Amino acid sequence: MTIFTFALKRIFRDKSNLASLTLFPIAAIFLPANDNWPLLPYGYQFFGVLILFVAIRLTGLLIDDRQKGVVKRLAAAPVTHFQYLFQNLLAFSVIVIAQCILVIAGGVMYGNELYEPLWLLVLFLVFSFTAIAFTLAWNTLYRNKETSFLIFMAVIMIIAMLGGLILPVDMLPDTLEKIAVIFPTYWLAEGIEWVVLGENIGDFLLINGVLLLYALLFLIIGSIRRIG
Amino acid sequence: MRDVWRFMNILFLFSLWVVQDENIISFLLIVSLAILVCLRWRFQLPAWTILIDIGLCILFMPTWSNSVFGFALPLFESFSRQKYIYTIPIVALLPIGEVFSVLLFWFLFQAGFFGVIDNQWKKQRDLYISEADRERRARYELENIKEELLEANCKTAQLAEVSERNRIARDLHDHVGHDLTGASLAMDAYEQLEGKEAEEMFYQVRLRIARGASMLRDTVHDMTPVTKMGADVLEHIAKEFQHTAVDFHKSGDMRNVPVQYWSLLESCLKEALTNVARHSDATNVDIQFDATDTIVRLSIQDNGTGTADPKEGSGLRNLKLRARAAGGSLSVNAESGHLIVCVLPFQKEEGSS
Repeated sequence: MTIFTFALKRIFRDKSNLASLTLFPIAAIFLPANDNWPLLPYGYQFFGVLILFVAIRLTGLLIDDRQKGVVKRLAAAPVTHFQYLFQNLLAFSVIVIAQCILVIAGGVMYGNELYEPLWLLVLFLVFSFTAIAFTLAWNTLYRNKETSFLIFMAVIMIIAMLGGLILPVDMLPDTLEKIAVIFPTYWLAEGIEWVVLGENIGDFLLINGVLLLYALLFLIIGSIRRIG
Repeated sequence: MRDVWRFMNILFLFSLWVVQDENIISFLLIVSLAILVCLRWRFQLPAWTILIDIGLCILFMPTWSNSVFGFALPLFESFSRQKYIYTIPIVALLPIGEVFSVLLFWFLFQAGFFGVIDNQWKKQRDLYISEADRERRARYELENIKEELLEANCKTAQLAEVSERNRIARDLHDHVGHDLTGASLAMDAYEQLEGKEAEEMFYQVRLRIARGASMLRDTVHDMTPVTKMGADVLEHIAKEFQHTAVDFHKSGDMRNVPVQYWSLLESCLKEALTNVARHSDATNVDIQFDATDTIVRLSIQDNGTGTADPKEGSGLRNLKLRARAAGGSLSVNAESGHLIVCVLPFQKEEGSS
């Protein structure tokens, strides 16, 4: 598990990473709630966007590796591409899992109305995996970390908007509302709605199922062994 | 191309789903099919995975009647891999679905058609690749044979030299040695004899010595070459070259140069001078030929303007190969005029034997 521990060390060595990984989730806990929309306090509604930001920062390490020729050297080392990818992803997952637990536990202790904190935790965890896979696939499209990061900023805004994290989906035109289904953020918004309104458990399984399928889909695309 | 077609199909299914305003569960079918398409894009999946596609479509047929359009993907795969057996469940299950239109027929038809085309294209491509591999292999083998032949050439020249030396030694031993020994014995006998017998013996001694001497002269005469050899040939070639002025300088002991090197040095000089005559605007060629204790070096420098990108003809390439086979090197420099330097080492252990 050398790559795993090394990935963790690399993430925490960067001070700005450390800040974004701890300060922002803590800030999210203390954001106020609104009456009509969003259903959860603002911090929890926007936590999905935060997860996407964190995921792109984390998986950016892999582009770094490609740029610096680490991947090229790995190809010659007795380490398979699968091990490299798996251990890195594991490190990223451990971090986002810790973050999700921090946010949910903090919210419960602070006294936010989270309806079903455990289901919410499950939802956020599943969405985190999808986000990591999504950013992984996104990063394979780019050779440069900065370009990938900057364009993804814009993309996050668009998919958060269309997916219903910033605005209610009902406000969108019908066609857009239909197309919004392809964005993982739409499913997160649906999941949050389920957590608050709590209907049929099958719907929640469907939502998580789609998110997991998306994670698998993007993982397959993201596992391309591109040597920079 | 194949993957573009597959992704287009997923897009088509999705647009169908958007237009028809279907329920959210059927979206799972599209995502699952997309995963399979991605898997096929990344990995070489076995043929039985086509059954998963078919199974998924069947599974969603009750909830979304247009799932039958998803059959296009497994149909394409089965035609593309020539596993026609997988088309049977598709054909058998089509009538069960509620959608049965001309559009569906044409959609599935194009899937099959593209599958067949893809299969043909793949076959062609494999054929071309194997052909290219075969040709590359043949070329490598030819190169090897060429190098072996060049080495064999050197060895043959050395062998010829050794056998010639042996012949000379045998000749000297058999004829001259025999006569001289005879003469020496006769001289011993002459000291013991007197009168007419002594005279007879003296006459024989003279005859034997004369015969030995002439034999020795003949052998030496055989050894002396009739044609020009060695550095003389190079000098002759330089002198015969009329196109530009040629300076020929030589230094060192030419006797050390192995016989097989001369033909190489000769072709090298000829090639260089031909190049000057044909491609260069030079007015003077300076040829330096040095033989030291360990190497022989031939450099041909002309004062032409030279070209930035010297194109190497097959002549120079072959010479390089021959020089390499002899353990030496040939280098070309076109920065100021054209300079060709051929350096060949002496193989000491063979030279001393």
